[in-house]
Amino acid sequence: MAGVAQANFQTIKAEVNGMVCAFCAQGIEKKMRSLTQTQDVYVDLKNKVVAVQLKDGQKLSLDTVKDLIKDAGYDVTRIETVGDSAQQIRAATRARK
Amino acid sequence: MLRIIMALVLTVQGIAHAGPMGFKDSWMAMGDFGPNWRELWVNYALTPRDAVGGGLLYMRSDDKRKTRTLTEATYTRLLHRWNTRESQANVWLLGGIGGVEGNDFSGSKLMVSPGVQLDYETTRMYVSGMARLYRAYRTHGASGLNHDYASVRAGFSFFEADYDETQPWVIVEARRMRALSDKLEVTPMLRLINKGYFIEAGVNNSRQWRFNFMYVF
Repeated sequence: MAGVAQANFQTIKAEVNGMVCAFCAQGIEKKMRSLTQTQDVYVDLKNKVVAVQLKDGQKLSLDTVKDLIKDAGYDVTRIETVGDSAQQIRAATRARK
Repeated sequence: MLRIIMALVLTVQGIAHAGPMGFKDSWMAMGDFGPNWRELWVNYALTPRDAVGGGLLYMRSDDKRKTRTLTEATYTRLLHRWNTRESQANVWLLGGIGGVEGNDFSGSKLMVSPGVQLDYETTRMYVSGMARLYRAYRTHGASGLNHDYASVRAGFSFFEADYDETQPWVIVEARRMRALSDKLEVTPMLRLINKGYFIEAGVNNSRQWRFNFMYVF
């Protein structure tokens, strides 16, 4: 039986304090998308989450993401690397609503 | 170039003041337009807390007889920010120095415009207050100018919005400027916030239209 290959995503997921409006939070998305390592970005204003999906084989330190979010004017309270894509995190968030 | 910018200012019309600068390395343009107050700022965020730029401000008295046109270099400093999970609060310092011209005096006077803005915002509620001095000092026998300005704003949103949705708000602003108007200008406005733009439009208690915008690029 042929198995379905499971994509192995690498996404940095951060919980961010101070994200109260989309216009203000656009800086986070722009900062993250400017990185060459970035494949996709998802900003979840309601749950205060920023997810940065990396391109295959790319590396990005958690501190870099943390510093960029700080430069955009916000505070990171929790940050981790997860195996879901930004799209999957978006879909899971929407399914919970 | 200055004429082109002034023409742009004079064709549109009041400033939004949700946060008077963007994120580090970004440019922000802000406009505030109405018959008696037309303002356009552009600034560049050198750091997450400091922005420098330029601004043009046209002011007119209620009786339409007296006008002021200020061209200034500006400095904006985020003095302090409190980020919590559900809110953000800021203390901003604003500063400007430039030349002011008027139709009731000749030449240009040096004007300084230091100010402070406080704001607090959640996903559903917004309040802010701003005070700014607009002073040109007496020189060589010429009289000085005092057009000190203060405003308060409060508003709410009908619902929380996702990052990629447009969020409507109702905002009411009350503001006053010394020596050009004896009235307290009160303007209810509809604010639309999107990740790409920030606009406000309303009609004040003198039945004059207002339009504000902010754009980060």
